[in-house]
Amino acid sequence: MIESAFVFDGQGRVIQYHLPAGRSSGYIPDSNDLWALLMKHKDILGGVAHTHPGSGPSGPSHTDVTTFSACELGLGKRLLWPIATDTHVTFWGWSGPGPYDYYQIHYPACPELTRLTDGIQRLRELSEMRPA
Amino acid sequence: MNDIIAQPQVLRADAARLNITWSGNNGELTDPISYDLTDADIKRMASEAVRQGSIPGIPADPRVDFTDFVVDRFPATEGVPFPRVMIRPKTPFGR
Repeated sequence: MIESAFVFDGQGRVIQYHLPAGRSSGYIPDSNDLWALLMKHKDILGGVAHTHPGSGPSGPSHTDVTTFSACELGLGKRLLWPIATDTHVTFWGWSGPGPYDYYQIHYPACPELTRLTDGIQRLRELSEMRPA
Repeated sequence: MNDIIAQPQVLRADAARLNITWSGNNGELTDPISYDLTDADIKRMASEAVRQGSIPGIPADPRVDFTDFVVDRFPATEGVPFPRVMIRPKTPFGR
């Protein structure tokens, strides 16, 4: 699996998949294009999902939480940060008090979650493809 | 006659415009900066400017923190005839 991401709106709809050159099984590189996309859609933005290799539930790395924090500070709003492996999806959000204090969030079934799950399934498929 | 006629801005050869994004707002430092400043110096300068509220379009914020932001440098082009320096949040995932 090659790590991949997608940006979604507050209703769980995919805004755009993020499959930049230079990504690997453990890394998605910094991208000015991704930041421009987040700013462009900041008013409707719900969050950014990304994949981790392997199976089972997975939590954010230090790189992940520092990116979460930076983007939220830049946008002036909090987001949802799902992480998908081959078998599980976990949802992460800021709870504080520290800038990197992100905790797992459990959601009841709802239409937004269903749409988000559909996007995540497509993301898994895209993550199996080698980058161009 | 004392007509005021807008003059095109001319920057020194080593000068650049500093663009900052913070808390959903985007603005430009009114004075040019040196293109060759270190990232740390640029972040320090931007932090001070946001704290003081001296960037048009960005309200003053004493809690500004550019720790996890990156500095991008763009040389002058035909379309934008002066170098630009931009501070934005970093966006990598993984590891």
